[in-house]
Amino acid sequence: MLSNFTAIEGRSFGYWRLVIFFGVLVLIGAGSFVAVEVHGHGITGMNNQIVWGVPHVFAISLLVMASGALNLGSMSTVFAVKQFKQFGRFSAFLAIALLIGGLAVLMLDLGRPDRLLLTMMHMNFRSMFTLNVFLYSGFIILCFLYLWSMFEYHQFTKVIGSAAFMWRVILTTGTGSIFGVLHAREVFHSAITAPTFVALSLSSGTAISILLLVTTFKQTKRDLEDKVVFGLRNALIFFILLVAYLLVVEKFTKYYSPAFYDVQGWILTGPYSSLYIFGVWGAAIIIPLAILFHPSKGNSVSGVMWASLFSIIGTFSIVAHLLLAGQAYPLNMFPGYEVSSAFMDGVTATYSPAAVEYMLGFGGIGIAGIIYLLGIKFFRMLPDKAVAPEGYELPWNP
Amino acid sequence: MTMDRRTVLGFGGAAVAGVALAPGMTLIAAPSPDKTEASGDQRWAMLIDVNKCETNCTACTKACRQENNVPLFGDANRDIHWIRKLEIRDKEHKRPSVSLPVLCNHCENPPCAHVCPTEATFIRKDGIVLVDKHRCIGCRYCILACPYKARSLVYKKTSFPEGGNPNVPIRAKGVVEKCNFCVHLVDEGKEPACVQACNGEEGNKAMVFGDLNDPKSEISTIIREVKTQTIRADLGLKPHVHYKGL
Amino acid sequence: MRSLQSHPVRFTLLLALVWASVLVLSHQVMASGSSGHAAEAHSHSDYTGGPPELEKAKGEACIRPTDWMRRNHMDFLKHRRGQTVREGLRIRSESLLKCSECHQSHEKFCDQCHNYVGVAPNCFECHIYPK
Ligand code: SF4
Ligand code: SF4
Repeated sequence: MLSNFTAIEGRSFGYWRLVIFFGVLVLIGAGSFVAVEVHGHGITGMNNQIVWGVPHVFAISLLVMASGALNLGSMSTVFAVKQFKQFGRFSAFLAIALLIGGLAVLMLDLGRPDRLLLTMMHMNFRSMFTLNVFLYSGFIILCFLYLWSMFEYHQFTKVIGSAAFMWRVILTTGTGSIFGVLHAREVFHSAITAPTFVALSLSSGTAISILLLVTTFKQTKRDLEDKVVFGLRNALIFFILLVAYLLVVEKFTKYYSPAFYDVQGWILTGPYSSLYIFGVWGAAIIIPLAILFHPSKGNSVSGVMWASLFSIIGTFSIVAHLLLAGQAYPLNMFPGYEVSSAFMDGVTATYSPAAVEYMLGFGGIGIAGIIYLLGIKFFRMLPDKAVAPEGYELPWNP
Repeated sequence: MTMDRRTVLGFGGAAVAGVALAPGMTLIAAPSPDKTEASGDQRWAMLIDVNKCETNCTACTKACRQENNVPLFGDANRDIHWIRKLEIRDKEHKRPSVSLPVLCNHCENPPCAHVCPTEATFIRKDGIVLVDKHRCIGCRYCILACPYKARSLVYKKTSFPEGGNPNVPIRAKGVVEKCNFCVHLVDEGKEPACVQACNGEEGNKAMVFGDLNDPKSEISTIIREVKTQTIRADLGLKPHVHYKGL
Repeated sequence: MRSLQSHPVRFTLLLALVWASVLVLSHQVMASGSSGHAAEAHSHSDYTGGPPELEKAKGEACIRPTDWMRRNHMDFLKHRRGQTVREGLRIRSESLLKCSECHQSHEKFCDQCHNYVGVAPNCFECHIYPK
């Protein structure tokens, strides 16, 4: 059933328009980087209460999606789901593209990006950041090896694919642990933050794969059998439920202990409550599930695409909520007491992101987009047509 | 907490704490030699008597800003405070509020140093937690990690303040900073500027600074004999700024 | 979909464009990042192309032989910088603040050479060279 892999032609007007679009995003990102470099972080909306703003939201979301993008490959290589085997190359390559996009934003948002090499010269192995440097670079190398084995050395695909799968679980755990390990931050200090990130990467990675596969196949006039998309839809449903489950368990545990009443109440009523309700629960969980379970919309490709889109918006919302609400909630230095000072103690921090921050984030998306577009043009990433194996029946339909 | 908590004198142990060092009095008896180096024999710490600290007194914070050229940007969200005065009050408002200064606690297990990818934040041998501003990449992870809000990023270019202290550098933007226990003064055998000011004319003599490893130092004596606390001892960071009467 | 003929030339041009803009931008970053101070000093230095004239130092002798200092002062300072910050090593007779006792003007001494050879150390963006 495996068809040939070919590069896309990439000569059409539409293709170049997309390349230019993402190129412009990259230039916008570069411009905002220069602006922040020259004027300092003073021109962003960040302050000494909220020190990680919108660029980090973009960066972390892209990183989470990157590890999730490897999903299709892992499902076929590790779990022998045959109909996804044809997307192995696509998924490994997409993972690299998204990871580079996310990392670029993370690096360019440093206060002193000129000193980046210092992270290579002096390493503190207790820092989640240093561990992540290794996890990310290892992930990129493994993805390359995985790609290479799928192109030339099929006998290694299984081994490398399994290694990459394990690595990506650890990698996302590492990303989640950047937040989960910080004891003093009540909103996200939790052992379950890291597993939530893993689940989130599964759902958002599947969602971005669906979106890109359907659009790419359509634009290049290749065949994509609906059954394949619906197989992905079933996976997406499962992953979204997983995210919901972990979110619920976390809330449940915290509502059980009176020490967290304050912060949990604040999440529901404070300034970030609408992001929490509409972003985290609405966009990430309820809307996509409602669409996917809908008897007619769930059975149409466009419905699945809408659900994927919401799932991705939801992923950004979850990361944004975790990050921004997590920092905005005042540190509880004297539990049981009210505090006030000239340094914003005891008050919810305010933050209004500046345009440059969004521009930097879009720059990261631009980088990922350009890499993807050029990759499918110059390498044989995508199958001529994607069909489900003979006699394959979907186990479930809405 | 590591220290001995025998409370011999009970809450009124102020008699012991009342001894205050004269401003600028030296901690090391001998005049400072030409070459000195931080050593593990010392463990610098601070003790703040909350009962003596007064709500309207800002002697320590002013002295800190003057000594260390701590930048103000005219934007409350970004102004940098190495030491700040906090008012705390029970939520039911049944008891009067308490005023106390909060600064970097120079934790023995500092999460800021644990998360720093380049070891720009580190613990010096004598227990002072410092930021090596030549090495900080401005990732701000440490700001997220510190439970005491002790750290700030320099958001803008700074210039030498009028009447500033030429012995302390001004700041480059994009780097994180925090209280350093006036390390340049401590290395000279002097006390941090806030402690000097608190024990000076304007202050209320609520602060003591000294070496915990020296059993005869004033701070060791008080901590041995009077009940003291640290902020959020439950986090296990072992802060070295102790509070009495909190 | 309308399909325009595209040539490798066009692609190369695009790449060149991206590359060039990255080059320009990074150059700008470097220039503004580290040398604001040097550029300023440049404008009111008055050397005319020959080897720089350094202001004569006060005092008897430098803490190291002049030849050695010419070559190594930067490593010396940088090495000491690390030791001072991280280990608390302070040698009072050899501290940076002492330099200015003999080399009294940053502009007439340090900047002369730095501008001549085109280096822009950013130490003095923060450290104050006492007058
Ligand atoms: S108080 Fe904060 S900044 Fe100071 S040592 Fe502890 S964690 Fe670090
Ligand atoms: S901002 Fe600087 S000091 Fe803080 S963790 Fe990053 S590199 Fe270390």
